[in-house]
Amino acid sequence: MTPAIAIDRLSKRYDTVTALAEISFEVQPGEIMGFLGPNGAGKTTTLRILTGLIAPTGGRVRIDGLDVAERSLEVRRRIGYLPEHVALYPELRVQEYLAYRAGLKGVERGGRRSRVAEAMERCRVAEVARQLIGRLSKGYRQRVALADCLLARPKILILDEPTIGLDPHQIRQTRELITELGRTTTILLSTHILPEVEAACHKVAIINKGRIIAVDTPQRLRMRLQGTQVVRVQLRGEPAAFESPLRALPGVARVGVCGHVDGFASLEVEAASGADVREPIYRLAVERRWALRELAPVQASLEEVFIHLTTTEPQDGG
Amino acid sequence: MNRFWALTGRELKAFWCSPIAYVVGALFLLIQGLEFWLLVNFLSMPRLDPSITMPQLFFGGFYFWLSVLMLVPLLTMRTFSEEKRTGSIELLLTAPVTDAQVVLAKFLGAWLAYAILWSCTLAYFLLLRAFTAFAWAPVLTGYLGVWLLGGVLIAVGVLASSLTRNQIIAAVMAFGAMLVLFSVGVLEVFVRDPEGVKIIRYLSLLEHLGGFAKGIVDTRPIVFYATLTAACLFLTGRVVGHPRWRA
Repeated sequence: MTPAIAIDRLSKRYDTVTALAEISFEVQPGEIMGFLGPNGAGKTTTLRILTGLIAPTGGRVRIDGLDVAERSLEVRRRIGYLPEHVALYPELRVQEYLAYRAGLKGVERGGRRSRVAEAMERCRVAEVARQLIGRLSKGYRQRVALADCLLARPKILILDEPTIGLDPHQIRQTRELITELGRTTTILLSTHILPEVEAACHKVAIINKGRIIAVDTPQRLRMRLQGTQVVRVQLRGEPAAFESPLRALPGVARVGVCGHVDGFASLEVEAASGADVREPIYRLAVERRWALRELAPVQASLEEVFIHLTTTEPQDGG
Repeated sequence: MNRFWALTGRELKAFWCSPIAYVVGALFLLIQGLEFWLLVNFLSMPRLDPSITMPQLFFGGFYFWLSVLMLVPLLTMRTFSEEKRTGSIELLLTAPVTDAQVVLAKFLGAWLAYAILWSCTLAYFLLLRAFTAFAWAPVLTGYLGVWLLGGVLIAVGVLASSLTRNQIIAAVMAFGAMLVLFSVGVLEVFVRDPEGVKIIRYLSLLEHLGGFAKGIVDTRPIVFYATLTAACLFLTGRVVGHPRWRA
């Protein structure tokens, strides 16, 4: 099966700055792929190359089997792109704007009205159809731009930070919409917000400083961190009393205080790679006659995977 | 083709939806009104040189050039600069339209707006016609000249706009470039060599428009204008498209 998006050793240099260093990954048809990285990691640069806005310094991108550099127009017909900074024409009404965009995207005149109505319906902007775009809130503008993406019924959606600047309610709606769209469309979703990926994506590509450092399912990425165990401990007393004895235990890498609830100190103990610290903690508690209420492993969240992967230098250079 | 008309329609709409259109249009018509008033005064002077025709006066006066040089940068400054500043250019350039279509649509949109504003001044001739007889042909060729000249200057302005995200800078650059083009004809006085004078006359916008206003439709300035327009639009296309090319 032809991958929906195939990125092959893509690089981009600006004078002395390397924005992308030979990144490669693929998105299969029907997948929702999260493209995750801290700000400035190269996400937007990658998406701009994908949509044909800028040329790479090296490597190639194929969308639906077509080379982006050689067959830009055909590629653009197949994608819907939501840029990071949504800029629409403020003097147009929502309906007018979408009709204009439908014309640009080659939607036949006869079917334009119904197509615009359908896109507005799906993105919940029908109620502002006759309002000037310049008067809309950020959330509505974002959704109008998303409706624009859907007009030509593209096979592939490329969304750059689709929930940035939205309120929590709108974020949830947008995520639901993305999940729903993902049933029929391939989606590449760039974000620096982790829950977004955990909520919607089948796979995740993590980028940092212009390099892809992991491509996997969210579940397997989480398992990658199993090597370092984190244990939550609750002991009766002030947290300060427990911190240094716990830190002194063999195999403990870090101790963090989480809080103090109804007389119990809550602490998180991170083990050094490969070590199991649960038994030493138990023994210490017995020896010092601490009242131990909880001793449980904390499952690594994707956030930890992300922080872990993006703050440690990759040893193998990849 | 549908895509191209969608783009052009949007350009025209953007112009007429902005207050700039009405401020610029009002100023333009004010200057043209002044020009017309001067013209009428001139025509009523008894010692007027009979070899000078009425359209020559209308399409050649100081206020005529002032309004052309003022109008064009204001029409073209927003074409690309505005989209670059707001970022809407990203959505434009990721739509399935060619760079050539985008550039031509922006050019045509501004050119049509220019033509519409000029067509308002036809009223002066209709008014004049009610009081005196004159030949329509030189008036119409005069308008043809104004329209073709507008094409060149608008292409220059669109090119300037593609180079910056700041509309003021775009307008100033366009004005500067147009002033240079306009001034070439003025150099005539400094040149002795008859061949040199010929070349300068060929390049002189003043000279051309005088011809059109006399009712002469010469293909040479038309070719010159078309070439210059095409060259500027080609360059604009290169400027707009260059980030897409591989270094």
